[in-house]
Amino acid sequence: MALRAAVLRHVRVPIQTVPKLHPWLGGSLLRFMSSHDDHITKDEVIDRVLSVVKDFPKVDPSKVTPDVHFQKDLGLDSLDNVEIVMALEEEFKLEIPDKEADKIDSCHLAIEYISNHPMAS
Amino acid sequence: MSVAPSRPQILSLFRSLLRVAHNFPDYNIREYMKRRTIDAFRQNRNLSEPPSICSAFSDGKSQLDVAKRQAVVYSLYAPQLRSVMEIQNP
Repeated sequence: MALRAAVLRHVRVPIQTVPKLHPWLGGSLLRFMSSHDDHITKDEVIDRVLSVVKDFPKVDPSKVTPDVHFQKDLGLDSLDNVEIVMALEEEFKLEIPDKEADKIDSCHLAIEYISNHPMAS
Repeated sequence: MSVAPSRPQILSLFRSLLRVAHNFPDYNIREYMKRRTIDAFRQNRNLSEPPSICSAFSDGKSQLDVAKRQAVVYSLYAPQLRSVMEIQNP
């Protein structure tokens, strides 16, 4: 301990100030990293959900509207339903728990769920 | 033989298999596993006898275990380059 103190007394580290970021750079970086501004808008969610559903091979793209029901209106079965929800998870980088995923059976519910999800991107 | 699995259990197995498929780093294996899962469930869609449903279900469950293990192994040897199919804007 004595040795350590003796060494430390003779070691001088020059004090350096952190260079200040340019206001425009610092400003834009801070906004860029903030978690509130980059949340997707509901219109964007609707657009992307519809395009995922339209891209599904068995779906007739002309029938897809924001209120369409997967099984009643598009003639899909429960396996297709699971596939569409998985495709939506992939599109929005989400992991939807089984309980929630079982409830999503229409475009409307999918849009609601995703636009209310804080991690959707 | 135990009781036949319920519809939600089967859909949950289907979802789990698709989730595991997503974990494979190699494009070809990932797509194969997805395709294979979907095809197998479609093929067994009309099973009605409880014993055959049971055996298909337990087969799926054992395949899920294999896939989980293999996803870990494959992630240790992930390909250095991405497949050309994964590039969004060539």
